[in-house]
Amino acid sequence: MKSLLSAVAAVAITALGSLSAHAASEPQRVTVTGEVMDTWCYYSGVMGGQDAVVGSAHHTCAIWCAAGGIPVGILADDGQVYMVLELEGSGPADGSETILSIQSDRITADAMLYERDGFKYLVVEKVTANEGITNLNHNDFGPIPGFAIPKSARGG
Amino acid sequence: MLKKLLLGLAVASLPFHAVAADGESKAKSWGLVGEKAATFEAKVVDILCEVAGKCADACGAGAYQLGLLTTDGKVIPVNKNSQTSFNGGVEDLLPFCGQTVQVDGLFVGEGIPAQLYQVQLIKPEGGEWAKTNLHTKKWKEKFPEAEGKGPWFRRDPRILAQTEKNGFFGLGKEEDARFIKEWY
Repeated sequence: MKSLLSAVAAVAITALGSLSAHAASEPQRVTVTGEVMDTWCYYSGVMGGQDAVVGSAHHTCAIWCAAGGIPVGILADDGQVYMVLELEGSGPADGSETILSIQSDRITADAMLYERDGFKYLVVEKVTANEGITNLNHNDFGPIPGFAIPKSARGG
Repeated sequence: MLKKLLLGLAVASLPFHAVAADGESKAKSWGLVGEKAATFEAKVVDILCEVAGKCADACGAGAYQLGLLTTDGKVIPVNKNSQTSFNGGVEDLLPFCGQTVQVDGLFVGEGIPAQLYQVQLIKPEGGEWAKTNLHTKKWKEKFPEAEGKGPWFRRDPRILAQTEKNGFFGLGKEEDARFIKEWY
């Protein structure tokens, strides 16, 4: 009976740990610096490895995805991806000039961080710095996908 | 009683998506990283409203990202619909804002605490399964002046304006010209 109770306690602790991991955390004010990026291509691998689906190589595709309503993220310097839920008071899913114009840029954002069920979400109150595109990986990968530059623009 | 308690606790401790799966999925494989087909019941929610309590009318009317609140209380962000041309899932979920639906699709990603979801099919309560392909239809309604040949992303005036201003790599047209001359 004692061992059974111990087993119950062990499962209960595991369950509570699991439940707390799924629960919402208290919001925190944070400053995040990183690249504005396309979360779908980055996580799904649909266009290849993660190094190729950021930076200048993926700039046009990032704009296509943001215009298509695919969630925009910030890839921070420590490798953490934050999903942007609001950008300076506007929703990011409608492909506005505000969200399209910062794709692939390295920005610093003053934001509120919300964590829920394994995801980190940002409500960006202000973009306090924008260094432009700093990852010039098109020299390594070319455009990703290749058709980001149409034949007509390649002179072919 | 004890058996039920143990079972309940064991279910609660299962990994995130093991709990979410419900029934046999008919989702098509895309060969994506960490891909797992899953169909389940969930409520369509505005993620900002759900996680931050900041709730716009009508789930943000297309401006805010939408997600799925599962029956066990987890919020799953939807990143993609079933179309292959850079289309998100907002337009497909929006008509069901606040409603419980059955979804079918793919969880994707690996090495992360939780996976994203591509919704391929939706079935409202009492309704039929439908493919998630509304993005381009809604785009055409929004940009009637962009009518023409080729995919939407080649004709979208917002995208064309960005490319005209900053080039294909976002570094200006001079860099485009240099690259094209050297690469092709």
